[in-house]
Amino acid sequence: MNRAEWSRFMTMYRILIRSSFRSRMQYTFNFWVGTAAAAIINAVEFALLAVVLHRFGTIQGWSIAESGYLYAVITLSKAMYRSFASDVHHLEKYLVSGDLDGLLLRPAPVLLILMTQNFSPRFGETLLGASMLAISLGAIFEDDPAIWTAIPLTVLAIASGAVLMFGIGLLTASSGFWLTRIDALQVLTEDAARTAAQYPLTIYPGWLQGLLTGLIPVAFINYMPALYIIRGTHGAWTLGLSVAVSGVMLLLSLKLWKFGLSRYQSTGS
Amino acid sequence: MLFYALSRASFNRNLQYRASHLLHNVASALFGFIYLSIWTGIGETKDLGIYGLSGLVSYVALNQCLLWVTSFTSNGLGIPQLVRTGAIATELARPVHLFYQLMCREWGQIAYQAMYKSLPMYIVYLFAVPLRLPALPAAAASAAAVVCAAYLSICVHYLIGAAALWTTESSWFQWLNYAFSTLLSGFLIPIEWLPGWLGWISRWSFYPSLSYIPSRIYLGYDGIAAIYPSLIWSVVLTFACLAVTGFMRRRVEVQGG
Repeated sequence: MNRAEWSRFMTMYRILIRSSFRSRMQYTFNFWVGTAAAAIINAVEFALLAVVLHRFGTIQGWSIAESGYLYAVITLSKAMYRSFASDVHHLEKYLVSGDLDGLLLRPAPVLLILMTQNFSPRFGETLLGASMLAISLGAIFEDDPAIWTAIPLTVLAIASGAVLMFGIGLLTASSGFWLTRIDALQVLTEDAARTAAQYPLTIYPGWLQGLLTGLIPVAFINYMPALYIIRGTHGAWTLGLSVAVSGVMLLLSLKLWKFGLSRYQSTGS
Repeated sequence: MLFYALSRASFNRNLQYRASHLLHNVASALFGFIYLSIWTGIGETKDLGIYGLSGLVSYVALNQCLLWVTSFTSNGLGIPQLVRTGAIATELARPVHLFYQLMCREWGQIAYQAMYKSLPMYIVYLFAVPLRLPALPAAAASAAAVVCAAYLSICVHYLIGAAALWTTESSWFQWLNYAFSTLLSGFLIPIEWLPGWLGWISRWSFYPSLSYIPSRIYLGYDGIAAIYPSLIWSVVLTFACLAVTGFMRRRVEVQGG
């Protein structure tokens, strides 16, 4: 893709996002109910982890602040991914109903259109994640000036995590071109894997650690970067490797998407 | 008779998707292993009270199996979809109470999930965890508690579904209910370990009836008397469902497809 094409796509993306957002805001009350509910759901989810830590102090040497950091990074990465590529996660709906046919006729890349359908900015999750991140970083570093290095590195980890989650999401969605029904697979690759990544990787048995670093590499969203950024037990290579894994996953998923789309057969229903 | 016809139809419909549901079982079992790993990680160095490590992993494994019966009820019992298409008007006009007919269908769904999702996972956990086997009286009492839990879940989902008549975002209530259920039902953490006010909220809600009560009875920590709160909540929520149906019949506004 050359520079002019890239710029054209970005302009198109912005326009589509804007119109999608405008259409959502026709139901202002419902939008804010959804936003508040999303924040509450995430807060409750974290409360579960916090209750365990509150009672037992640490999990395999990870304190409540460090676990909060893991949770905040993955929450923010997910919020970013689902805000900017919302309907990639909902491809099954388009495949089952045959609505993807309509998108194929539009004069823009299907993936770009899909990413902008039903744009839902995750304000609630972002606010919650950012607050938890600030509290966690504050508790971990206290008065240590190293926090000023940790903040930009964490932003990089979050962005890289969002790309990785997008890659995993797109790979799973692409399998829908052959399987059509992918909700169960999404539970496995997105929901279960993300839940697992909320806890320090070392609590899992070897086979599960292998799964979470190899087949569904969610450990590179938060755990690996955290080893360098907040724990300091490993070198900067863990963060570099995380960014590299995200890049590879993105390329792989785009390739499979393109291939899958060329094999797409409408359900006709 | 109607109960049998509707629930059997729902059960048979689900049978068509057995292969696809197998993947659900794998995902659900994986979720279970994640939760079990958390407790195994903690239990290696900390005291887990009366449960001990083996008791707590049995507790969590059983709760994971029961989810398909006591929590993963159809979203809003399908009411949001009926509202979207406008079919709710026809359903409300039928000579059978809406709550009763949707409940009958859901029992078929629950029976299917118990047989094809909970049971296979239970068998896997029996050997892989290993999940403890109960004494016969405890098994019978916990089965009764599970039936109550399934019924409560039907009632709650009916109320969530009914909200679709007044908001297009009723699916969020579904998620909120699931999130609160995870925390307050004792699904992952026995409720006596919840901090003060959270424990208080949990004890005064119906949530412990979904996981905590059936599992504690199964593992022999409580007797059959522990089921009383579930019975009381069943009565309360039945009246709530009947009252909400009254409101639904008063003025129906559909989205028209």
